[in-house]
Amino acid sequence: MKKIFSILYLFITAQLYAQPNCQAYKYFGEDLKYEACTVAEKRNGHYQFSKEYQIALDEALAIDSTFAFAYKAKSTAYLKSGDFITWKALIDKAVHFNPKENLDYRGWCRFQFFNDYEGAIKDIELLDSLVDYDIGHCQNGFYHLQIARALCYKCLGQNEKAISIILEQFNDPAHYAGLFDYLHLGVLYLETEQYQKAIDVFKKQEQENDIAENRYYIALAYKEVKNKKDYLENLKLAFKKYNEGIRLLDPYVEQKDKIYLSQIEKELELAKIL
Amino acid sequence: MRIFLSLSFLLFLVSCSSNENSHNYLRWVGDSAFKEQLDSTNFQLCNGDKNASQYFHFQEGMQYVGEKISLINHFFDQYKSVNVDQSGWIRIRFVVNCKGETGRFRVICSDQEYTPQVFDPKITDQLLTLTKSLKGWVIQRHDQTPKDYYQYLIFKIDNGKLIEIMP
Repeated sequence: MKKIFSILYLFITAQLYAQPNCQAYKYFGEDLKYEACTVAEKRNGHYQFSKEYQIALDEALAIDSTFAFAYKAKSTAYLKSGDFITWKALIDKAVHFNPKENLDYRGWCRFQFFNDYEGAIKDIELLDSLVDYDIGHCQNGFYHLQIARALCYKCLGQNEKAISIILEQFNDPAHYAGLFDYLHLGVLYLETEQYQKAIDVFKKQEQENDIAENRYYIALAYKEVKNKKDYLENLKLAFKKYNEGIRLLDPYVEQKDKIYLSQIEKELELAKIL
Repeated sequence: MRIFLSLSFLLFLVSCSSNENSHNYLRWVGDSAFKEQLDSTNFQLCNGDKNASQYFHFQEGMQYVGEKISLINHFFDQYKSVNVDQSGWIRIRFVVNCKGETGRFRVICSDQEYTPQVFDPKITDQLLTLTKSLKGWVIQRHDQTPKDYYQYLIFKIDNGKLIEIMP
């Protein structure tokens, strides 16, 4: 799991730091943007939290105050430091000047960092209405934005709507299963008391990415259908995997449906008296 | 009167300062320089301000003894809802030093539209006190050396009620 995350992290970091193609601005006759873009390159090699990084982008914006990329690049450090006020002010400008390329990021971050479910849904749905292509994945690559949208509805208590969004996304021939798609769908089935469906999708998750959470939740589903053998077996496996670090892990925030060691231990205690 | 005004000013600084966007950048976004009127001189960064990390640099997420659920219980067991028509987010950012001690607390607050908002002090004071009383911060190491790091907690408030804690 850690390995998968590291690979994704490198990919994402590379994407985030990806330099816009300044020459393209020149080619399309956007001279001011070309100049701003070139100046923004001064941030290269500097940490996104650093003074040097921020100043380079400020200089770029002084040349072209409509350069959306610079606002977005500036916003990330504020996001990661938890300064939602400055982050939002900056990312709003990026969205204002280039909604199609920034609504995905704003929507995802509202969900990931601030549990702003309504705001995230609004952004993802607005993006979907603006483009005729696939809206794509979230910033860290873990989810298709439609799956993220489904999770937002779940967090607002709309489990059935969340299930229907996920199933609709699964029906898209272009969709490939994400690292945790089946886990979240399984938990939704579990929470809506559709235990056999939950078990079926947890088994699919097992094939994709067999993490402690999956084993824990499938154990709960087996418990509900009175299959004590599989309940116990999966619970023990959840405990083992958790201790081995094979579990949900995001360095910035906690992911939805994450479990804690104490929850598994508590369930193991309960299992003794069943 | 003078003392009252000074105290009010201090409370304003601690309880809900404005956000930190400024062209007078410090080393890094989110750094909290020592402020005599706010910070205890007893709290020291072991490796100096210039070497403080961020909690996510250690790739393990927020690290608290007993995991986040323990921290969640700390707040939900003790926070008393305040009957006010105020919703939004409150962020308390602070430093955990190489000994696991905390200091340099800074608070920002917004409404649900991310616009700065001053919450009822009964909300912010409670959260700040509860945050300062947390004792389970894990000492983070890099190459076996204990590090100082910035951590934050974001509290999602709905009509004076605490509903979620991040990260």
